[in-house]
Amino acid sequence: MDLASFALARKSLAKIHGFVLSAHMNLMRRLFSAALLILAAGGPALAEEAALTPDQIKQVVRVESVTIPMPGEFFAAIDKQGRPNWTQLVRAATPEATSSRAQIALALGTLVADGYIAVEAEDSQAVKNIGKEIINLAKKLNVSQSVLGRGNSINDFASNNDWSALREELEATQNEVKLDMEEQKDSSLVTLVTIGAWLRGTEITSGLVAKTYTPEAGRLLRQPAIITYLLEQIATLPKGIQSEPLLVSVQSSLEKAKAAVEAKTPSEQNIKDLHQTMEAAVTAITKGSSES
Amino acid sequence: MKRWALFFLSWVAIIPFTRAEEDVSARSKALEVAGAFSNDGYKIRDGFWAGELEPSRPQLLEVNLFGGNEYWFSAAAVPPARKIAVAVFDEAGKPVDFQTYDNGNMAAAGFVPNVSGRYFVKLTLLEGEKSQFCLLYSYK
Repeated sequence: MDLASFALARKSLAKIHGFVLSAHMNLMRRLFSAALLILAAGGPALAEEAALTPDQIKQVVRVESVTIPMPGEFFAAIDKQGRPNWTQLVRAATPEATSSRAQIALALGTLVADGYIAVEAEDSQAVKNIGKEIINLAKKLNVSQSVLGRGNSINDFASNNDWSALREELEATQNEVKLDMEEQKDSSLVTLVTIGAWLRGTEITSGLVAKTYTPEAGRLLRQPAIITYLLEQIATLPKGIQSEPLLVSVQSSLEKAKAAVEAKTPSEQNIKDLHQTMEAAVTAITKGSSES
Repeated sequence: MKRWALFFLSWVAIIPFTRAEEDVSARSKALEVAGAFSNDGYKIRDGFWAGELEPSRPQLLEVNLFGGNEYWFSAAAVPPARKIAVAVFDEAGKPVDFQTYDNGNMAAAGFVPNVSGRYFVKLTLLEGEKSQFCLLYSYK
């Protein structure tokens, strides 16, 4: 498919949320799907496949909205190690005013991760507050009315304590903001939202793992391929954005993070270093400091 | 001449629209498959991978997964695709142990990684002709 038709397809998909987004799927449809699976498959079976060739691996594609996991996945894995006290981790993060669009995009990403923390804590008021902050930041980036409507959905789901729908709605909001950025030829900001969410998610998870380190928990953080991808994306940004002090600082933080998680089993010291680096990076984003 | 120009322009306008429609159809079918797993507590990612699938040319996607989480990769293609398959491989390209579901042009692979890291998802058109596909995943 050529890029123009793919863009059109993507755009068309984004405008029919009521139909395609799982958060809005009704119970009957889910039950129908379940019945369909059981009838058609008669239960799952193990599969056998030949190994991929080096040429095949070279042709692997990366699609940011699928290849890069959301903080919710990270937190689901952490929960399996022993459910943390998420309530203590909820923060009322109001980023400092800035005119830098790059900083706003990064801060927006950190807020999406905060939204997931509030969902894990099942704190509906915090979710509403964070949703409001996300929309406020999105407005500064001149996003469309459809994104603003997402704020209402977040409020509604939070009022109904529908935590599962909220997880999906937070990601859908982030994706809609990114789509708007692309439509406004602001695609360089898209990656920054992803980076912001990843930095904040890793700050939280590395802090939790560092407190009660086990090798198994340390291995959860071994995701060097994600950092490689994010660094590659930074390298494609316009030079003007790349040279912003905050971006220089974020890039340096990512390089340090990559060194910390490259071992098969990151050590306790690796995880502590990672946490310190991520904490400094997130503080720089929300406080506007370029020093970390 | 004018008639030919109109004919040409109508095709230029219709082709991308049809592809978009096919993508929507493939995505709604993929969501149908994933929707079944959500009954079992799986959360569906909003992001998706869409494109064109051809016979003898499998498509490969990189994903980054967390050890201990459970994943289902659900895919669908529109006719003329008749049968597709989803498979999962580790970072070295070796197949991992995964469960399968297949129902003609809808298929899924279920996988629980032991370690966090990079994995590859392969989508293959087993029967039928070139068609639009959509793949998405859910986790718990």
